[in-house]
Amino acid sequence: MKTRVISGGLLRGGREASLTRWKENRKRYVDWCTIGFCILGGLLVGITVLAIANMATAELANPAHLIEVATSSEVIGSILLTFCAGANAVLLLVFFGTPLAYVLARSRPSRFKGVVESIVDIPLILPHTVAGLLVYLLFMRRGWLGAPFGEIGLAFEDAYPGTVIAMLFVASPFFINTMREGFEKVPVHLENVARTLGASTFTTFRTVTLPLSLRHMYSGAILAWGRAIGEFAGVIMIAYYPFIISTLIYHSFTTDGIQTSRSIAFTVILISFGVFYLLRRMTRFMGRYDDRV
Amino acid sequence: MIAFDRVSLALGSFRLKDVSLAIGKGDYYFIVGPSGAGKTVLLEAIAGLHRPERGRILLRDKEITALPPEKRGVALVYQDYSLFPNMTVADNVSYGLWVRGMQKGEAQREVAGLLERFGISHLADRYPGTLSGGEQQRAALARAVAVKPDILLLDEPLSALDPVTQEKFIDDLRRLHREEGLTIVQVSHSRREAHLLATRVAVIIDGTLVDEGEAEVVLNTPKSREVASFVGIENILDGTVTANEDGHATVDAGGRTFEAVTEATAGEEVTLCIRADDVVLAVGDGRRSSARNTMAGTVVSVAENGPVAEVKVDAGAELTAVLTRRSVRDLSLVPETPVTLSVKATAIHVIRSSSSARGSGR
Repeated sequence: MKTRVISGGLLRGGREASLTRWKENRKRYVDWCTIGFCILGGLLVGITVLAIANMATAELANPAHLIEVATSSEVIGSILLTFCAGANAVLLLVFFGTPLAYVLARSRPSRFKGVVESIVDIPLILPHTVAGLLVYLLFMRRGWLGAPFGEIGLAFEDAYPGTVIAMLFVASPFFINTMREGFEKVPVHLENVARTLGASTFTTFRTVTLPLSLRHMYSGAILAWGRAIGEFAGVIMIAYYPFIISTLIYHSFTTDGIQTSRSIAFTVILISFGVFYLLRRMTRFMGRYDDRV
Repeated sequence: MIAFDRVSLALGSFRLKDVSLAIGKGDYYFIVGPSGAGKTVLLEAIAGLHRPERGRILLRDKEITALPPEKRGVALVYQDYSLFPNMTVADNVSYGLWVRGMQKGEAQREVAGLLERFGISHLADRYPGTLSGGEQQRAALARAVAVKPDILLLDEPLSALDPVTQEKFIDDLRRLHREEGLTIVQVSHSRREAHLLATRVAVIIDGTLVDEGEAEVVLNTPKSREVASFVGIENILDGTVTANEDGHATVDAGGRTFEAVTEATAGEEVTLCIRADDVVLAVGDGRRSSARNTMAGTVVSVAENGPVAEVKVDAGAELTAVLTRRSVRDLSLVPETPVTLSVKATAIHVIRSSSSARGSGR
């Protein structure tokens, strides 16, 4: 009993002391620059939060409708289709984009390199409808690539491959540029040392360069996947059907009205936020070696 | 063992021009030169990391100009150590063995032996980011030695180390060279390292090999004024030979007369190189001495550096002498102190500007 009183007193004393210290430190370390930056950045985050809050208020007022829409097979199927098509596009990007990013990172500046870099960036600077048109004209049934693929039974128009290829086209700069930055950050000296120790160019890439760029690979993949699943105009040109989530929201907006489309959109926001938050958390320590002191 | 035959290569705006050199088995070969001279490019060319535009590279008289780095039997240690940050120290050391297909058990034994030898066994499971500069250096050296290279290439390996670690590492390198009979090529801009370790030296300035040969010869009797300046000759004076009797020349350098041993003839323009170690100072009028060059002067400055002091003397021309700090104290040398300065004629190296051949004098 006596002990309790003493420890309680000590605890209270400790809390008071630390509170006083905190107040003193707060007075001493007011960094107005950081506070200013936080306010400016906070405004930007605030707009997004406000927009979501606005939607959430309306949706949470009628949870039954939200649950009904969110659990409908059409919405679940569309979300799964969108996520899978995005993942397929990213897988293709990893396979084809990684070598391109490496070549761009390691080649010396030249006019040819500048042209290739500009071509990689084209999907970034084009209106999405133009990007969609480009994909459509190339992969339509009579297109330069659509026709030969059609002959071996692979159709793109209003088909899953069409969705994947449109997503791949618009998301490619996000992956390639991030990956290239990652490769550029790996010192060439490391590759040189690996080569002199007996590793071939590919072994060096596989055992040294790629593991050290993993963090950028994940970042690029997440960015590209996010860009891919959010695409609308680029996809509808070649594959209005099957409905990816953005097409479904547009379709619902034009046929069922705002309430249903808003419920689908809110569901997508919640799921996307959860998935992206998880991915970021999972890859937090990935590829970090230098700061494990 | 390895030879460059008129090798030229371009890297951006930098050019390595017509480099010819020969590195023998067991040499401790130093490539010295100022920053940006092309030392590292030359080292990387030996490793096969740059393809020459012109010329040939020969290994044991066999042309290897187009041979990729992994097939040359060389190992490279960079200034920044370049340990793979995604691998532990043990994995770094075993990397070369692994890519060469050594069995896991054998590689583990080999690595354990190397870690023990370099005193880093306790660091086996650590990542490079957690090591000190000296520890990283030893790990990088162990990794390079693991593949038993024919030639070990070192790119300024001591420049990022503190003086105490530098001394230890110099001992390690000396032992490695002596005990293993390893051929080592080291890039450095430190004359001190070259004096301590090199058996042969190449001086490269602005992409051109300006001098090459036995370390003692290149460092003490440089071929040109720029090499003399780079290899650390403290007193370099331009002058004209006024007379020469049986190889004993009198040289007028900025109004001061020096006697030196050279074949240079009267009227010939020469450059005199005098090591500060060879300059003797006496206070007052000076005594009779066998030194052929004795002149009065005044102390300009005294800069202490460790156990020695660098004393600059205005004797018509400004000359530098290196004395022990005790001598400075005993002679009470301070700026404005009148002194008598003497240099033996045989201590002066004479560079003859009319000839590219190495001059005589020492």
